[in-house]
Amino acid sequence: MKKKAKWLALFLTIVLALSFVACSSKNGSKSDNSRNTGVTPADKKNPVTLTTVSMFGGTDPNAPNYQAIISQFMKDYSYITIEDDSQVSDQDWKTRIAADFAVGNEPDVIQYFIDANASDVLAADKFVTIDEIRAEYPDYAKDTLDSALKAAANPDGIERAVPTTGYWEGLYCNKDLFKKYGLELPTTWDNLLQAIATFKENNIIPIAVSLNNVPHYWVEALILSAAGSEGYTQVPETVPQDWCTGLAMIKTLRDMEAFPKDTDTIDNDFAGELFKSKRAAMKLDGSWFLSSIPDKQNTVITAVPVMPGGKAKEGEIIGGISSGFYITKKAWEDPDKRDAAVKFVMANTNKEGVTKYWNGSGQAAVSADPIKDMTPLAISGFEYSNKASVTLLPIDSRISQEAYNTLIAGIVDISTGAKTPEDLLKEVLDINAKQ
Amino acid sequence: MKSSGDAKEHKRFSIRKTVTYLILALWAVTTIFPFVWVINNSFKPSAEVVNTSFSLPKKFILTNYVNAFGKQDILESYKNSLVISGTVMIAVMFLATMMAFAMTRYRFRGKAIVNAIILSSLMIPAFSTIVPVFKKMAQFGLLNLPVSVILPQVAGNLSFATVVMMGFLRGIPLEMEEAAYMEGADVFKVFTRIIMPLSRPSMATVAIFCFLWSYNDLFTQLIMIRRRSGFPISVLLNEISSRYGTDYGLMASSVTLIIVPVLIIYAFLQKYIIKGLTAGALKG
Amino acid sequence: MLYKKKFPLVIFLIPGLILIFLFLYWPFIENIKNSFYDITNFVKMPGKEWTFIGVENYKKLLTDSKLRIAFANSIKMMGLAVVFQVGIALGLAIFVSWLRRGENFFRTIYFFPIVISATAIGLIFKLFYNYSGGMLNQFLEVIGKDPVNWLAPGRAFTMIAIPIIWSYVGFYFVILLTGLNAIPEELYEAAKVDGCSKVKQVLYVTLPMMRGVFCTCIILAVTGALKVFDLPWVIAPKGAPQGRTHFLGTLMYEQTFTIGNVDYGSAIGFVIVIFGLLVSLAVNELLKPDANL
Repeated sequence: MKKKAKWLALFLTIVLALSFVACSSKNGSKSDNSRNTGVTPADKKNPVTLTTVSMFGGTDPNAPNYQAIISQFMKDYSYITIEDDSQVSDQDWKTRIAADFAVGNEPDVIQYFIDANASDVLAADKFVTIDEIRAEYPDYAKDTLDSALKAAANPDGIERAVPTTGYWEGLYCNKDLFKKYGLELPTTWDNLLQAIATFKENNIIPIAVSLNNVPHYWVEALILSAAGSEGYTQVPETVPQDWCTGLAMIKTLRDMEAFPKDTDTIDNDFAGELFKSKRAAMKLDGSWFLSSIPDKQNTVITAVPVMPGGKAKEGEIIGGISSGFYITKKAWEDPDKRDAAVKFVMANTNKEGVTKYWNGSGQAAVSADPIKDMTPLAISGFEYSNKASVTLLPIDSRISQEAYNTLIAGIVDISTGAKTPEDLLKEVLDINAKQ
Repeated sequence: MKSSGDAKEHKRFSIRKTVTYLILALWAVTTIFPFVWVINNSFKPSAEVVNTSFSLPKKFILTNYVNAFGKQDILESYKNSLVISGTVMIAVMFLATMMAFAMTRYRFRGKAIVNAIILSSLMIPAFSTIVPVFKKMAQFGLLNLPVSVILPQVAGNLSFATVVMMGFLRGIPLEMEEAAYMEGADVFKVFTRIIMPLSRPSMATVAIFCFLWSYNDLFTQLIMIRRRSGFPISVLLNEISSRYGTDYGLMASSVTLIIVPVLIIYAFLQKYIIKGLTAGALKG
Repeated sequence: MLYKKKFPLVIFLIPGLILIFLFLYWPFIENIKNSFYDITNFVKMPGKEWTFIGVENYKKLLTDSKLRIAFANSIKMMGLAVVFQVGIALGLAIFVSWLRRGENFFRTIYFFPIVISATAIGLIFKLFYNYSGGMLNQFLEVIGKDPVNWLAPGRAFTMIAIPIIWSYVGFYFVILLTGLNAIPEELYEAAKVDGCSKVKQVLYVTLPMMRGVFCTCIILAVTGALKVFDLPWVIAPKGAPQGRTHFLGTLMYEQTFTIGNVDYGSAIGFVIVIFGLLVSLAVNELLKPDANL
């Protein structure tokens, strides 16, 4: 009995000792840093540690490019250490970032949303404007096109973020499946309906989508299709009839069994799997989906056709610039970090950096040189976005997050008829009006 | 007469025994299955997991483990986890036993209220407390330190542990304590010499649960600890698997890596949950 | 006699209560306050004010059809948890306690589902249920049957309740077995001498002696059912399909984190705590665990 008690006491001591060591070592390293930054007149450059956060994390196709730029950067400036915490952006992550900004735990440089998605963080007013930076570093963002900088301005019209690339949303099609069943690509609404009917008969899922997880692209595309660019980009105060028509189409498509049987329960990744493994014929997705597709020969991108009676014109697509690099005031006010932060943003947003991110798809924020050796799929994406006459930002850049999320959460109910588009849109617009 | 009766008895016993074992074995199959499934799939590429998750890997690959280990210092993360969950486990074990002792042995004014406080804190969801706690931790500069996870987790597990310990302590007959009192022992002696030894199996039970919940509680850890060097194992592996997207093979190997140390701890604590310990304590 | 002097109470109770107050109640009071404001951002940014909206959120609770489903599901889950989780666990624990050999084996094995985090278990079941290529449908294909949409609205609740129940049986099993082992062997010996059969021993020795532990399990089952979150969220997030599998926990999470309606989420959190408290007090009242004091 006593022996066991001793054992327990020993275990306790070890754990406590470990926790003490863990605490003190952390404190130790912290004080080391401050000493280094404070008293090393011999070195011209004081060692700087920059904390950075970006959305080039996880499965983002640009994650490796971003990491490559970071390691090159640390090689070029050996006195700068980058402590990076990048993640794929989801709601939880956005909450964590907002919490960081609220309590003063924000990073030095962050690549983040520029539109209404960033409203939480922008409200904290912790970013330096590009004008302020240029007052001291006239070369800041010199490669970036003025139009791109303007497009990356925050909702209040002030330019703070330096963008890298834009994106588009388009309809990915497995061309080989269309060929196999003698179908035309869905360039017109009739073709689309024909394709849905034929694929359904042949046990192929016509359209891979997860209505419960990511119906966003369809919501955007159908509203645009029905309302046209003018109706689409307004921030309505009363429920627009066109929007209802667009949303109602989701129910029509569902009733035609255009979606997977388990569209209510699968997640977007799995829907992507269905498309990539050719179990599904079409998927509406963003330009970031392109690089994950294994079959680069037989996949093409087309626009979602205009629905009968729809006001959209050909060449109106959804896309734009949604994010950019910011420098926080915290870094700006620290003389050592100021310079390092500017250098870091430049490394990511100059011509060389942007060309890496751009990769031929979407739009580059600098005048990048065309890329050689593009795959047929990449060419298809390039042409798709080049043919576009107007690129429109999605709805979530114009209305509040809570309102947009309510819209998205109600899509399944729309598709089953449990809720009418009118009721849902009224709820959404009410929430938006509050803020 | 007598012998045939015995045989009958014997037969009935063996039938009952067989049925008992059969039922127990059936349930065992359901609990072993996912375990085997996870380990089996940790040696497969993701596509194979999705399509044929229930057959043996076509070819054993270690890529998932290589990816999970990568350049990360996985041992460091194990250590961080052990520090956090070990401290939570021990702190909860003692605090809960003390509280349960007070709650089951004393009658006092406001006992019903304290009881209600403990019970309702069982229900408080972590999602609704995390933001204020996070702000306070940031204010005191405790973010990224183990203590920022330990304190909320201790508080979060304490009510559960107290409720369980109360249940066990109620089962310990009062006579022994009274006898000790007659011999001149005070309350603290009674607590350390009688209650603690007697409730060791129950304390071990509570301890293992607290350890597990602390260990698997990604939510608190994710929010409080942001620096890579301080990542506990579940946060580290979560980060790794988010880097590879829905790579089910990698997820399976991550889960395997998370499970192994827990099984070791459980095996250690198991010894304390053995039958007859109560009897032993009574004699000694 | 021993427990007449109340002074030691302070030492035994206060440290724990302080922790509970600091890390649960104080933030939770903040949460209750939040439910009366219209909160635009998850975190209050410096220089931003929230508008007071009074009990609007609570009014919304009364008319919200999603909440009604979630409430019904949570209550159903409570019943299922008590009957099946605790019931199966009790059966298994009694069986195992009869064994001469293999007790350790089963105790280890039954513990497995608890060791694996809920997220991982959710993932496993998700792969079981998948319509295209899930295990169950692979199996149906082998025996020549049509694939089934396992998470169709009609049966989704059952399909999600199964893993919830299953994964927690081991938890109650360990608690109950620990309680069973604390029953002095002498009592069984005495019962045997009196000619009691095994079944009678269970009825007259085991169950009465287990009253306290049993009551604990029921309270934990009831409150646990109320807090159910990870498993349904991983298998069918946001109450999929069509909101049929929302529980109070998942609804609160969806409102708070996915939609960003923080104030409404806070109101749901408050309801969870109040409702859970009422139920567990009722359980206490019914079973009277302190009866033998």
